[in-house]
Amino acid sequence: MATRFEQLSAGDAIEGPEFAVTRESIRLFCDASLDYNPLHLDDDYMKGNFGKTNFGGIIMHGMNNFGLISRMITDWAYPAGAIHRRLETRWVKPVRPGDTIQPKGIIRSKHTTARSRWVLLD
Amino acid sequence: MEQAESFETDFWKHANLRKLWDDIIPGQPRQTIPYTLTRDAIELYCASVGEDHPMYFDEDYARTTVHGGLIAPPSIHILLMFACTPADDWMRSPGTVNAGQSWSYNVPARPGDVITLQARALDKFIKRERLFVVHDNVFFNQHGEVICSGRGWTIRPQ
Repeated sequence: MATRFEQLSAGDAIEGPEFAVTRESIRLFCDASLDYNPLHLDDDYMKGNFGKTNFGGIIMHGMNNFGLISRMITDWAYPAGAIHRRLETRWVKPVRPGDTIQPKGIIRSKHTTARSRWVLLD
Repeated sequence: MEQAESFETDFWKHANLRKLWDDIIPGQPRQTIPYTLTRDAIELYCASVGEDHPMYFDEDYARTTVHGGLIAPPSIHILLMFACTPADDWMRSPGTVNAGQSWSYNVPARPGDVITLQARALDKFIKRERLFVVHDNVFFNQHGEVICSGRGWTIRPQ
């Protein structure tokens, strides 16, 4: 897909590579992020309830998703000399070992400000 | 590697020292600790999310880019949040669930940077019977430049 600002249009799509989630990938993310919350490590703990929620087993770090989305954006932006400036996320569903996930983005709009040019993606 | 070796990976160990939702005061600064970001830490983080851009690994290549040298991926703040906070920080309370995040990026973090964090709870509220805290964070490098700033919404276990 084109990455020149002038050639980008609302509706253009980008995507990152697929990511296979395993107990080992979650453990590696613990070591890399220093986030050793038992949500990601302890199956016995995860049999319990969290208020109204029961996850049923360990779940992937939400920030692992964040990192994959960030990687999609930078890998797309760097070749065009562009910089990743902001990312906002909300978590809707947990990700578990055995899941395969893939980040995708759609260009929503472009803006030119006094000193810069922005591409906004959903 | 002294920093990594001293990191307590058992998040239950200091659980009784951590603030509960009731104890968290919006506006009150969190205690933080400076952290020296190493190339090893960047490479381990990259491995965990599949980051393979030479900007993070190849010094010769990185020197030819706009950044003039190796940098860390923007999302390195995921590591910095735990690296720059002590073991009794409430972000480590077992059962803390991440509900949302928004981050803005300024200058990149680089290997060798001594990174500091200014952080606080900004707000807390109850929604759909869940205890939320909004936390507010700014990471700086040793030159006083903002690396990134962000907010997170977490659901507290108690």
